[in-house]
Amino acid sequence: MFRAEGKGDYRMLSGRERERYARQLPILGEEGQETLRSSSVCVAGAGGLGCPVALYLAAAGVGHIRIVDPDRVDRSNLNRQVLHAEPDISRFKVESAAEKLQRLNPDITIESMPVAIDDGNIDRVTGGMHLLLDALDSYPARYLLNRVAYQKNIPLIHAAVSGFHGQLTTIIPRETPCLRCIIPHPPEGGSPPVLGATAGIVGTLEALEALKVLTGMGDVAKNILLVWDGRSGRLDQIPVGKDPGCPVCGIRGRIC
Amino acid sequence: MRDQGENMLITVHIRAFARFRESFGDRFDVEVESPATVRSVMLEVGKRNGQGVRDLIDDGGNVKKSVIIMVNRERVTGEARDEHPVHGGDEVALYPPVAGG
Repeated sequence: MFRAEGKGDYRMLSGRERERYARQLPILGEEGQETLRSSSVCVAGAGGLGCPVALYLAAAGVGHIRIVDPDRVDRSNLNRQVLHAEPDISRFKVESAAEKLQRLNPDITIESMPVAIDDGNIDRVTGGMHLLLDALDSYPARYLLNRVAYQKNIPLIHAAVSGFHGQLTTIIPRETPCLRCIIPHPPEGGSPPVLGATAGIVGTLEALEALKVLTGMGDVAKNILLVWDGRSGRLDQIPVGKDPGCPVCGIRGRIC
Repeated sequence: MRDQGENMLITVHIRAFARFRESFGDRFDVEVESPATVRSVMLEVGKRNGQGVRDLIDDGGNVKKSVIIMVNRERVTGEARDEHPVHGGDEVALYPPVAGG
């Protein structure tokens, strides 16, 4: 599994860090905690998924979180985007998120990028990152992130939500199917209704998956699409495979 | 060999996920005429819910491209997906991917 070795600094944990992470150090160990501290993660989207993802990664001590989103906070976001509050309305979401995250954990670096991911900035958005987290709400941007993850060989965790439901998969370039293999035709976009708690569950699942990918602990959702059904309280697994004709990673169809 | 004949009814086991579970049911059987295809099975599934069918079948009577279909736990993709043969006793699973963030 991926480890952020050779990156960042390997100083010992400070007394404050030891105190802050006391309840998870028995799980992660000092080495795991230091791996998190030396990890750089891009959270693409500061909305319903991005808020819980960034919140739990900051709390866990991921050392460098880059959060990317072009939008400003709107009152209609507040049913689910739990880092933003009434006084944040009309601020950049990344600014509002960065402030809360930094307040939660002053020992980590939060970088905010108020941009819409496109071909022109994707290198800057993903540069230096060990892991990419899809907390986006559109498939064109997701496909761009997926293509760059494949080109740069960076693991990518995909998640999406609607209503009571959500999905998640972990993409390890050259090992697992890519997002294009799994979802070759995007579902209709728009702004689906979402319960905040659904985004919370799936976003928290995505944060947990990120911690596992970074530290190498546990089994990650490789080659499966995890499907959360909040109405029946069930987490199903749909097996997914590589598409040899995939335009991104397929042996027959590669264009990039 | 019951599913080899023309115009005979065959039974197909359906497994629906997420919103499709809500619309059509969790696990159930449908009866369709043989020879059956992904399309004929999905049209039969769609009859269970007049509203929910809109998430499954497009205006042209095709299964929506975004829908993930598995026959006997094997993903069926590509241009010919809707014509993929389905036999009596097969399990067909369906899932509508979501887009929100």
